[in-house]
Amino acid sequence: MTAITDPLVPPRDRLSRARALHWMLAAFLLLCALASLQVGAADVTLTALLGKLVSGEALSQMERVVLFDIRLPRLTMGILVGAALAVSGAAMQGLFRNPLADPGIVGVGAGAGLGAILAIVLGALLPAWMQELTGNHLTPFAAFLGGWGSTLLLYRVSTRHGRTSVATMLLAGIALGALAGALSGILVYIADDRQLRDLTFWGLGSLAGASWAKVFAAGPLILLSIGAALMLGRGLNALALGEATAAHIGINVQRMKNIAILAVAGAAGAAVAVSGGIGFIGIVVPHLLRLRSGPDHRTLLLNSALLGASLLILADVIARVIIAPAELPIGIVTAVLGAPVFLWILLKRRGMVET
Amino acid sequence: MTLEAQEIRVRYGRREALRGVSLTAEPGEVTAIVGPNGSGKSTLLGAIDGTLPHRGHVRLNGQDVSGQPAWKLAATRAVLPQASRLAFPFTVIEVVRIGLQAGTAGDRPEVPMQALARVGLAHYADRLFQDLSGGEAQRVMLARVLAQVWAPVEDGAPRWLLLDEPVSSLDIAHQLQVMEIARDFARGGGGVLAVMHDLNLTALFADRIAVLAEGRRVAFGPPADVLTDDTLSRAYGCALRVSAPPPADIPFILPHAASA
Repeated sequence: MTAITDPLVPPRDRLSRARALHWMLAAFLLLCALASLQVGAADVTLTALLGKLVSGEALSQMERVVLFDIRLPRLTMGILVGAALAVSGAAMQGLFRNPLADPGIVGVGAGAGLGAILAIVLGALLPAWMQELTGNHLTPFAAFLGGWGSTLLLYRVSTRHGRTSVATMLLAGIALGALAGALSGILVYIADDRQLRDLTFWGLGSLAGASWAKVFAAGPLILLSIGAALMLGRGLNALALGEATAAHIGINVQRMKNIAILAVAGAAGAAVAVSGGIGFIGIVVPHLLRLRSGPDHRTLLLNSALLGASLLILADVIARVIIAPAELPIGIVTAVLGAPVFLWILLKRRGMVET
Repeated sequence: MTLEAQEIRVRYGRREALRGVSLTAEPGEVTAIVGPNGSGKSTLLGAIDGTLPHRGHVRLNGQDVSGQPAWKLAATRAVLPQASRLAFPFTVIEVVRIGLQAGTAGDRPEVPMQALARVGLAHYADRLFQDLSGGEAQRVMLARVLAQVWAPVEDGAPRWLLLDEPVSSLDIAHQLQVMEIARDFARGGGGVLAVMHDLNLTALFADRIAVLAEGRRVAFGPPADVLTDDTLSRAYGCALRVSAPPPADIPFILPHAASA
């Protein structure tokens, strides 16, 4: 967060500055990761463990479990989810040419929410063997299918003759969101108390369910999608000038849209599936970075991944320690911290413009 | 090695905006497209630059453009749109650099500043594009387009500037400046195809003029042949007289009389 002091950067060296920021943010991510391994509900600290390793002492069973089976998968998941949400946000903002766009705009949120609610409320109706097979992965799996499915549906609706209209996509997204909301409402209406509680917590988001199994299920898709999104920098820069101009500059606009939408559906869909509804990362992170080092997507996307990952695991640390041994849903932390920071930036910017 | 449009037809819904227009622009020349509002000038340019679906053929330096990849076309021709809105707070120099990446001068980092200097805005390099006036923004976009096809001739083949009303929001001094840039590009061996609104500037700078009316080409040729009382009066639907001085008591200002 130290990297967001002065929005009035001399623009001349913004590109080299943004590249230097890669390293600063990577270092910041490392710090946050160490903090995340250090603290938690159990009385196990990284420093104590390192001390033991140095003196050649063996780790206790409990220490090993806490470090390798609880904190490390959770940290990995946090990095993946934070990076996925922030990169998806930056890519959608570039594609829709609007700094307020986020993955929700392509239906990921609404579809994933509906999928999750379906799984929570109607999951018990599945035959026993299916319940056994899916175990507690049914909700994330359904959320992913919902997010992915609704994105593809929106994409089909707004593509004619091989051209995707982002304006149609935006409007169709609103309609689809309302429909998903209504269906979710029906399910909420018939849900029992325990299911309602599960639903609420799913919506608030959490990394508490992190496990290596989930990391290995969601990780490859998230990494692949982020990798694809990182290639879009030059194209998204050109798209800032409008679709026609981007084509005149030599960008294959339709192919870029395909990649961007599929990458976002993959990254954000998988992230939402394993962590629930975590807001604000996708909008705040790219915005902060644009203020700091300009809107050049060639650096913005990677910086978003690094800062998004850092901030999410930092928020997770706070969620774990603030009411320990219980923990707060992380979506609450990101909103409580993200919203005021966002407002403060807006007010500060306004003040500077007016004076 | 020309820019050739053949029997271009464009429909907007039921309305036929272009009813089979052909023209050939030569390298080394400024070719202007003029005509009344709604005659299809910008539509023709949009068909030629590939933005609008159309029937007919467009050949760039002898090759049909349909099916050519965008990056390949971008190396040969640059397009200046009528107006540009920018989505994010890029600076002026960053916008021009986006043009440079598109062209083949990508290994010449000095080109964007030279292009900005060419349009007289080198001192604006670090300003935010969004803070510029309409005329300044248009000149920055021209610099971006110039950076894309910086050398008018490359590997023996001419490159092309397609300009859609390049002087529409400029004052008279900058109108002349921009038209001189276009003419210099043509003198350097490149080709320029420009949609023009101002008939005086067109008369002054164009080597060849296509007059459109109601989606058809009604005249095509050098200014002296095309800019006649009869052709213009018919195309614009009002009685016009070429080179007739106005009554003595009303002042008039023509770009022909300007000197830097």
